Amino acid sequence: MADAATTGHDHEKRSFFARWFMSTNHKDIGILYLFTAGAVGLISVAFTVYMRMELMQPGVQFMCAEGARFLGGFSGEECTPNGHLWNVMITYHGILMMFFVVIPALFGGFGNYFMPLMIGAPDMAFPRLNNLSYWLYVAGVSLGVASMLAPGGNGQLGSGVGWVLYAPLSTLEGGVSMDFAIFAVHVSGASSILGAINIITTFLNMRAPGMTLHKAPLFAWSVFITAWLILLSLPVLAGAITMLLTDRNFGTGFFNPELGGDPLLYQHLLWFFGHPEVYMIILPGFGIISHVIATFSRKPIFGYLPMVYAMVAIGALGFVVWAHHMYTSGLTLNQQAYFMIATMVIAVPTGIKVFSWIATMWQGSITFETPMLFAIGFLFVFTIGGVTGIVLSQAGIDRVYHDTYYVVAHFHYVMSLGAVFALFSGIYYWIGKMSGRQYPEFWGKVHFWTFFIGANVTFFPQHFLGRQGMPRRYIDYPDAFALWNYVSSIGAFISFASFLLFIGIVFYTIRKGKKIEDNAYWGEHAETLEWTLPNPPPEHTFEELPTPDMWDKQPQH
Amino acid sequence: MPVGITRFDERAPEESGALLHDTPATPRLHLVIRPHQSLTPPGFVWFIGLTAGLMALPLLMALGRPALWGLLPFCLAAIAAIWWALQRSWRDRALREDLVIWAGWLRLTHQAPRKAPQIWEANPYWVKLRRIPKGAKVPDYLTLKAKGREVEIGAFLSPGERRDLHALLERELLLATRALP
Repeated sequence: MADAATTGHDHEKRSFFARWFMSTNHKDIGILYLFTAGAVGLISVAFTVYMRMELMQPGVQFMCAEGARFLGGFSGEECTPNGHLWNVMITYHGILMMFFVVIPALFGGFGNYFMPLMIGAPDMAFPRLNNLSYWLYVAGVSLGVASMLAPGGNGQLGSGVGWVLYAPLSTLEGGVSMDFAIFAVHVSGASSILGAINIITTFLNMRAPGMTLHKAPLFAWSVFITAWLILLSLPVLAGAITMLLTDRNFGTGFFNPELGGDPLLYQHLLWFFGHPEVYMIILPGFGIISHVIATFSRKPIFGYLPMVYAMVAIGALGFVVWAHHMYTSGLTLNQQAYFMIATMVIAVPTGIKVFSWIATMWQGSITFETPMLFAIGFLFVFTIGGVTGIVLSQAGIDRVYHDTYYVVAHFHYVMSLGAVFALFSGIYYWIGKMSGRQYPEFWGKVHFWTFFIGANVTFFPQHFLGRQGMPRRYIDYPDAFALWNYVSSIGAFISFASFLLFIGIVFYTIRKGKKIEDNAYWGEHAETLEWTLPNPPPEHTFEELPTPDMWDKQPQH
Repeated sequence: MPVGITRFDERAPEESGALLHDTPATPRLHLVIRPHQSLTPPGFVWFIGLTAGLMALPLLMALGRPALWGLLPFCLAAIAAIWWALQRSWRDRALREDLVIWAGWLRLTHQAPRKAPQIWEANPYWVKLRRIPKGAKVPDYLTLKAKGREVEIGAFLSPGERRDLHALLERELLLATRALP
């Protein structure tokens, strides 16, 4: 029988190892995700700096067959271009950013930390599975880094096939590096699917009493839709790369025409995953931006339900537009017409979101703290990226722009700038909640302006390069493209400096930031449940379920 | 609502054989206490249905090609996994406590997931209801004590719900005692 236990039970303080290595607490795991993603992000950003160094001048100065150089490339020593090293850089920049940085930070980090708090759940539905997800992610990162250092194609280290791992490039790449890369994606995929199952179950079955689906906060919704997209599309990727693996190692011919296979099918499968993937990257960002804009405009979010259904629509449409990545691969006219129209339809829900954010700010009492600056910066860069997306969605125009820097500029505007601005916005918004200490406002603003200017100087000129016809994925270019490449590289160095400043800000905040006592330190318009908790929240939260008066501030919803 | 209350006919039972605890006589009151769950059975059907429907899309693309067999296991495994996870989440919270009060007898059944039910029975006359506002396992901890054994009730409810339950039990225990022949 449940015999009465009339004495309270206290947890003894756990050791550092037990807390951070064996954690089943969603808040601790969220923080682990954020820091790991930050470390992998630094590696991945370092690659971009090296690539922009190389592209700063026509000719090859740094990535030499005689050995990779980092300094003094301008003095004109002998340098044979090493295309493999370049290809490895673009490949691992893509793989790391797509699988190991943005999704783990936004979905794994903030999703884990704040989604259960926002819906008033004591923890995730399966805390130990959560721990497994995190460590599978770490294992995936390790496999990815191992892949880069393992013997690969061209008798060198690493694989240079691009993050999409297109067959037959990937099936013909020599060495074990490619197999490691496939395993890395497998393991990170398993981690994401388990995480997604956990988040879906938590969101569906553990919302606080009275919190119907139409009352759940927008960030919780965005994380739920992201989890659903992961659950639906990652199995397809897992199947596709498993077939790559058997094609490489067991002589099957899924993607080999000589054996009756179809290399184009790999592209279809990859993009069936790949297009929802970019929405998985951006959707949690949408959620964060909604809360930040409402908080700093001191108004409830405009059009809550349309915002929710716009996210649902973006998620659903994301599954039926994949072949717009493949206009030049020989689709029929009707296929191209369909994918073109379907792609343009996505502008409707996205427009609903952008207009609702603007309407939220309209006549609001706006203040420009760092999170809000990043949110407005997000609106700006995401809208630019969205507009170039509409341009690229035209099958005819895409023939000109396909595989040029215009595409690079487009997807970096939506993902590198869009998602990362949302990520920084979330970090500045919640760092006080997570650490109990506030970041230095002045340096936050310096970070914003250097990053905003640096990122735009990096990527805006790439539109010009694309329009001039400069192709992607090359180590070198003719003199005609020199000017804007030079400008773009300067921008990349400014962005990198701002990233280093950001790392400094984070560690300063954690060690020396001003302590904050007020639970809802951004004012009364930050009204989701995490703002009812102290900073940082205690280890166990909402063991007593919250009541509707704690979160239902706009009952008209 | 985590506490379900079923009241039966308030008239005194014709036969006062209620002291035999296995009596089939109509109880006065049946309380069912469960933890809160937000996923309803129709919600489960909707979610699995939509997931399976969307998952069919890439499979249609691979229909008639060998690649179908490369995709199918992963897609089925994903659906099976989310199905299992939602069911498991229900089962983990399938905790329930049934308190049945007859005139002159009461039975508390504590049914934890994956465990045998635990049953405690007593005569309401001898039952001592206790509310411990602070310092116990949870705030406003509720216990029932009789025959030298103290058991908890509604430990998974919120404190407010436990206070309501305390008021309800206080009244019902008294009535059950008075209703004795």
